[in-house]
Amino acid sequence: MIQEIALGLLTSSVAVEGTSRLIVDIAMYFGLFVIVAMALNFQYGNAGIPNMGCAVQVIIGGFTVSAITTRLILTLVGNAGVEILPWTSDYDWVYNSPKNVNIVNSWLSGEPLFGVSMLLFTLAVSLILGAIIGWIIALPAIRLRATYLMIVLITMADASQIFGRNVVWISGGTLGIFIPDIFKWYPGDRTLVMAIITLLIGLISFFIFRTMLNSPYGRLMRAIRENEVTVGSVGKNVVGIRRNILMFASGITAISGALLGFYFSYVVEANYQRALWTYWPWLMLILGGPGNNAGTFLGCALVVAMRRVILVNKWFLQEIFFFPVAYFEQILLGVLLISVIMFRPNGLIPEKLLYIPGVNYRRLVDEEVVVDWRGAPKARGASSGISGIFRMLGGKKEEAGE
Amino acid sequence: MLIPAIWIAALTYASELTLLSMGFTLTYLTAKVPNFAHGTYAGIGIYVSYTFSKILGFSPYLGFPFSFLIGGLMSIIIYFLVIGVLQRLGGGAIVLTISTLAIQIFLAGATNIYAFWLRAKYSTYAMLFMLKDFDFKIGDFPGIFIVSVGLTVSCVILLHYMLTRTKIGIAMRATAEDPELASVLGININQVQVFSWFLTGGMASLAGSMIPIWFMSTPTTGAAMITPIMAGSLLGGFENVYGAVIGGVVVGVSEIMLTYWGSVILGAWVGEYRPLIPMIFLVIILLIEPRGLQGAWERMTASDTGQSILKSLGLLKEEPVT
Repeated sequence: MIQEIALGLLTSSVAVEGTSRLIVDIAMYFGLFVIVAMALNFQYGNAGIPNMGCAVQVIIGGFTVSAITTRLILTLVGNAGVEILPWTSDYDWVYNSPKNVNIVNSWLSGEPLFGVSMLLFTLAVSLILGAIIGWIIALPAIRLRATYLMIVLITMADASQIFGRNVVWISGGTLGIFIPDIFKWYPGDRTLVMAIITLLIGLISFFIFRTMLNSPYGRLMRAIRENEVTVGSVGKNVVGIRRNILMFASGITAISGALLGFYFSYVVEANYQRALWTYWPWLMLILGGPGNNAGTFLGCALVVAMRRVILVNKWFLQEIFFFPVAYFEQILLGVLLISVIMFRPNGLIPEKLLYIPGVNYRRLVDEEVVVDWRGAPKARGASSGISGIFRMLGGKKEEAGE
Repeated sequence: MLIPAIWIAALTYASELTLLSMGFTLTYLTAKVPNFAHGTYAGIGIYVSYTFSKILGFSPYLGFPFSFLIGGLMSIIIYFLVIGVLQRLGGGAIVLTISTLAIQIFLAGATNIYAFWLRAKYSTYAMLFMLKDFDFKIGDFPGIFIVSVGLTVSCVILLHYMLTRTKIGIAMRATAEDPELASVLGININQVQVFSWFLTGGMASLAGSMIPIWFMSTPTTGAAMITPIMAGSLLGGFENVYGAVIGGVVVGVSEIMLTYWGSVILGAWVGEYRPLIPMIFLVIILLIEPRGLQGAWERMTASDTGQSILKSLGLLKEEPVT
């Protein structure tokens, strides 16, 4: 039955509506947030970097779609012989945007290959730009205490929104920019394809993250989280590793911003607010349990479903409260964050032991180490300090045996 | 007029920012947590002023003591319900910081709801307002200029007196240095914490209630001030109350004056980028000298050339003990 419904949804040429619409919407948002939250889990849960700047990384993806992909599509379509309205000046860029997108869309409906290649191009560019942004935001504070990093990243999220609002050629300022529909060739609902692609990318990034965490590099990350001084003392470049992690995770996070732009067919800076793209992913991470991806999935699903259901029942809720639901969500976010930190600091699914191929780690931890103190009375009685240690290391087994 | 209007605005803003930075640094010293909700306390002060002037019909200056009390009590409640509990549970620095962020989100939501309720009940412009009509004038100066600068200066003097002369101030300094050692010496750390949270919350709310008398205010004005507050505190060294005074003045004055000069020279569009100035301060400080003025001072006194420069400026009197 599920197969029939899925096939029916995929092949039908009518728009998705009603409950199916809600399910598609939840799936899309789940995919987007799971990418952000898993990248956050990679940074905070496993490497101990408190990245409060997810919004910056997400907004870079959105800007990639609006400023680079849209320009490229307009240029290529113009070169292909389609007459499009002027778009090079700031004024034309914003005010001809809907008309141009309509013209381009009718051309795109016959070009599936072009659409898919544009999607892949956007993903690649946003990955690279996200990594560059990760390098830039790591620059001032990565060497310092975690608090400084948090402060800088939170302010940078605001700064990126200010640029998006005022630099018109990026994303059309406050009015926003329409994005050509690269799935115009698909007869059914575009949002369904976007949701499936987003979930697929989420799944791929889950496997990438899992492989990285189970590799020696992942164990190194956890070692840095536990004690960076120790890791530094055995000759590992802690700052460099942290910067690499931040760059990699930034790239993955930027992809979700690009996908959001394609989903709405519209990019405006107000879609990439700090609260939505930093605080809610943090709640997902902390609720699910930092340090394992299963917890992130669970937290993400719970929070996204809750938020979407609140949004759908907005008018009903607004009759109960006298104020807009957006303020209620703020209160809810604050209360949930604090109560999770207080009552379930390890999250719903606490972190599990590492999986290392060939090593039964569980046995190593659980095994009771029996120490026979009777064997070493002299060593225990030796004076503390360096001389005592040397005496113990000196191997006076004959004395111990006496 | 002796002082141009833009300088009055800059000094008013700087004095309000100084009060906030000072409180932020004091919280960081005693509780070891950067309180992201500190700007939002100011947002609550803004609405205390609004309630007193527009709703109750008094002068907003009458609301200042109430603002101090409300901010202080709220801060104590936050300490008892969240921060203190987390400290006892053994939450790390990152967990505590996240909890202050959660408090900030909660308080911002509460402020929004209160403003919305005022607008719905009294049909006033509670979401975007300015209380300049309620201000008085002393000679050529607007009252808020005198009051804000005077209040800030007296607060700095009082705080200095309290930290150096009174028992509770010395206990606060001891707690800031080493909480465990302080408790061994018989200082009730819990009491000191409660007092410091009350003081900082009250000061922040007081500073906030001065903002709408000169500046345009919305429910998010207070929350947006957290960046300049942190820039001021970081410029002062993050762990030095007197440094925070200098930092607050420098960041506040430069935020307004650089925007003004920029808009005169480059054009009006510079005004949109005003929130970037404290952020640039933050990044530059972190890149050059992460410990701010305090770190710079220590570095200067440690080297011979630095000492000679300081002596030539008249800042260093005697030889520091090495």
